Amino acid sequence: MRINLDTPVVESREQRLGTIIAWDGKASELSKQSEYARKSCSSGCGEKGRRLCEMKGPFTQGSVCSEQMVECQAGNIRDAVLIQHSPIGCGAGQVIYNSIYRNGLAMRNLPVENLRLISTNLKEQDMVFGGVDKLEQSIRDAWERHHPKAIFIATSCATGIIGDDVDGSARKLEGELGIPVIPLHCEGFMSKHWSTGFDATQHGIMRQIVRRNPTKQEDLVNVINLWGTDVFTPMFKELNLRVNFVVDLATVEDLAQMSEAAATVGFCHTLSSYLAAGLEQEFGVPEIKAPQPYGFPGTDAWLRELAKVTHREELAEAYIAKEHARVAPRIAELRELLKGKKGFVSTGSAYAHGIIAVLRELGVEVDGSLVFHHDPIYDSEDPRQDTLAHLVDNYGDVPSFSVSNRQQYQFYGLLQRVKPDFIIIRHNGLAPLASRLGIPAAPLGDEHHALGYQGIINLGETILEILSHKKFHEDLAAHVTLPYKKWWLDQGDPFLLVKGE
Amino acid sequence: MPETIPNDTPYPKHPLVEKSNSIQQIRYVCAIAAMHSASAIPRVIPITHCGPGCADKQFMNLAFYNGFQGGGYGGGAVVPSTNQSESEVVFGGEDRLRALIESSQKILDADLFVVVTGCISDLVGDDVGAVVRDFKEHETPVVFAETGGFKGSNFTGHELVVKSIIDQYVGEYDGPRTVGTVNVWSLLPYHNTFWRGDLTEIKRVLEGAGLTVNILFGRGSSGLSEWRSIPQAQFNLVLSPWLGLQTARHLEEKYGQPFLHVPVIPIGSKETTAFIRRVVEFAGIDNGRAEEFIRNEEETYYGYLEEFADFYSEYWWGLPAKFVVIGDSGYNLALTKFLVNQLGLIPGKQIITENPPEEHREAIRAQYQNIAGDVTTDVEFEDDSYRIHQAIRQTDFGQKPPIIFGTTWERDLAKEMKSAIVEVGFPASYEVVLSKTYVGYRGALTLLEKIYTTAVSASA
Repeated sequence: MRINLDTPVVESREQRLGTIIAWDGKASELSKQSEYARKSCSSGCGEKGRRLCEMKGPFTQGSVCSEQMVECQAGNIRDAVLIQHSPIGCGAGQVIYNSIYRNGLAMRNLPVENLRLISTNLKEQDMVFGGVDKLEQSIRDAWERHHPKAIFIATSCATGIIGDDVDGSARKLEGELGIPVIPLHCEGFMSKHWSTGFDATQHGIMRQIVRRNPTKQEDLVNVINLWGTDVFTPMFKELNLRVNFVVDLATVEDLAQMSEAAATVGFCHTLSSYLAAGLEQEFGVPEIKAPQPYGFPGTDAWLRELAKVTHREELAEAYIAKEHARVAPRIAELRELLKGKKGFVSTGSAYAHGIIAVLRELGVEVDGSLVFHHDPIYDSEDPRQDTLAHLVDNYGDVPSFSVSNRQQYQFYGLLQRVKPDFIIIRHNGLAPLASRLGIPAAPLGDEHHALGYQGIINLGETILEILSHKKFHEDLAAHVTLPYKKWWLDQGDPFLLVKGE
Repeated sequence: MPETIPNDTPYPKHPLVEKSNSIQQIRYVCAIAAMHSASAIPRVIPITHCGPGCADKQFMNLAFYNGFQGGGYGGGAVVPSTNQSESEVVFGGEDRLRALIESSQKILDADLFVVVTGCISDLVGDDVGAVVRDFKEHETPVVFAETGGFKGSNFTGHELVVKSIIDQYVGEYDGPRTVGTVNVWSLLPYHNTFWRGDLTEIKRVLEGAGLTVNILFGRGSSGLSEWRSIPQAQFNLVLSPWLGLQTARHLEEKYGQPFLHVPVIPIGSKETTAFIRRVVEFAGIDNGRAEEFIRNEEETYYGYLEEFADFYSEYWWGLPAKFVVIGDSGYNLALTKFLVNQLGLIPGKQIITENPPEEHREAIRAQYQNIAGDVTTDVEFEDDSYRIHQAIRQTDFGQKPPIIFGTTWERDLAKEMKSAIVEVGFPASYEVVLSKTYVGYRGALTLLEKIYTTAVSASA
């Protein structure tokens, strides 16, 4: 399936990839049903979007929307401004993404500053008469205040419903100001999963920022990531490669030069799928078709593929051998220390596949995992990127593998199934429940923490730290009541109320 | 992207700009955030009828990255949401909401559900009232408030939620009222970073004065039994510049219940003692207990102040003289009164940020013109942080920078001005707050510790 950059509106994940948000079973079964690598389809296989059986039920708890993901990407570019064309409430996200932006800048040794997000602050009368004038005013304000290199516009449920011509305003102001003014269509109701918001941002960047007549930089590699510590520069140095971090904490120039890079990699296919595939399709920048860099087999294969594409095979082999030898002793110790421990992974989809691999490298038992969504396939459609199959093939099955978009009420039952000693999380909302059950959580705010060879050690050390928190959580568990009725907690099946469609 | 970007010419770093609709770095959110006014009541759980991100957005920003308060029993990720999708935009969302309320009855252990709506429902015109009415006979009662984001802020949303609980749950009453019992309407839960500790201290002070207190939100509230007793209280106390007045007027009309409006939330002994006397006088109860309480509290308070005076009078390395307050009117006025009257600091700039309704602004201004017998100051109303920071930059503070009482948005500005900063309001993303209070007798002492630890620890 081709990525279509001709229209300003991105195709949602469910349209492109057949994304689902509710499923329960074994990892191997989900992998099989996803019909990805198993049919060894390299491209163009099947209909647009795979059809997986998805469950639907009456009870749902607050999820996350695409606009939030636009905020956390387009809103964290260092010399751009993001306009939130919405009532003031959508602007709430400025708080969290500012905090993350500041801490991210600090982790990368960049000057710490507040982000630049502006709400158009739509009111009741704007719902009747339209909000386009306010949008144009806010775009002009953004220009006057900051002279940014680009201005992004995030739409909202309200502007989507009233039908504001955001594209028209963006075109007009782009002509007037002489910088890219980029509408990002990310109405919350448009997609059932928030990761469409990543795609919306990346869509706009490819349409309006990435340079169309690139001068190739043969040692430059795009790394699609978030705010994590720079673990790539030291690694790439060994291969004589340079890092171009995108999208968060990047400059507009960093984004523009993506077309000049020799390759594109990511830490998580959920995040990088659309941009990496689009850069390859539209700008000829190869996406590294490999499993994600987690655990030994994944990291080995990832480095080798990167080396192949950038013609650095010898350097890569030397680095791989050196790193294996370096990390082996501590990993052996950690395996000893973590013997018999049971972990549970609840993170984004492809990321979870990687983290489970790392846990198994450490000898931690992982009998259960909850992912927030599942993409049966990624945009490249390349079986070498089938992260779930990679997990199952290299590390064995995960007996309780559930897709649930952060539904805390289901999480209780899932934890009862496997009774883990700790959980690993990224998004918020599940760890508080685990805590009330006496189970500590390792929040991986730094998304690079478990990446590569060093990542195996990092994660092991973190687990030892958080296992020690158990005292706090067990004490708490003895003193709190959950907001769920006994009837519900006594149900063995967390998916009792939902059924297949 | 254009090949040459024509913005390489130098431009002023912080150009002055006209007021417009734009709000950069928000300081309040929308009406649906009043889901927190529901979850702030023990064992009450909000049900959100909105897009998939609304509940998370309001929670993560008001309750997490604002003092890391947490969701508690029925907030945070517990909150049910219809997570509306395209089909509810096209066909309406009433059936989906009905199914959600029905299943919430089975799954969640609550005393009351409060349905709050978002932009989608309010724009497509779901008849939420009709859906909610169907649950009259169900185990857990359900009320609703229409809180679409374009309808107002979380301040106005709070009054809508309160009204919905009073009208749809508490109901009619024409029985007797209990002398000496008061309903307190004060700080906005969760938005005010310190509301839990503050309401506890306000309750302690009023109880010390001999009153029976319905504090209604937070740890000191007994939950819905307290809400059911609202009509029996002798009177309502609105302790804030304007928030709660709408509720008090509604209660006056509904139950014939009088109210006392005290705009200044008391911080420190002078203000708290005056506050107690005013409330006791309004209640008309015997003041013996109140005066004894005041004696005891003042003895403790001034004991600490006596010891603090060593530091305050002979610390060598300089302390802030002027101050800036950037925050909503409740804390802004309270802090200004305390800093001027208790510490003798000089007001530098006061900016009120929650966009109070026009009709209350004159009264708020008047308060600032009468901070002390010999101190008057002006106040500005501004909700766009870009303009707020410009106003501060434009102010001449004399020989040394002021101490800033503000939010996380002022961290960069404080660095730029070499000012100390105390985060006292939303968003306070670099404060971890549990039971801390800055009001009353006890809170004032904590505030002194915070101010001067901040000043001293930055000195070397």
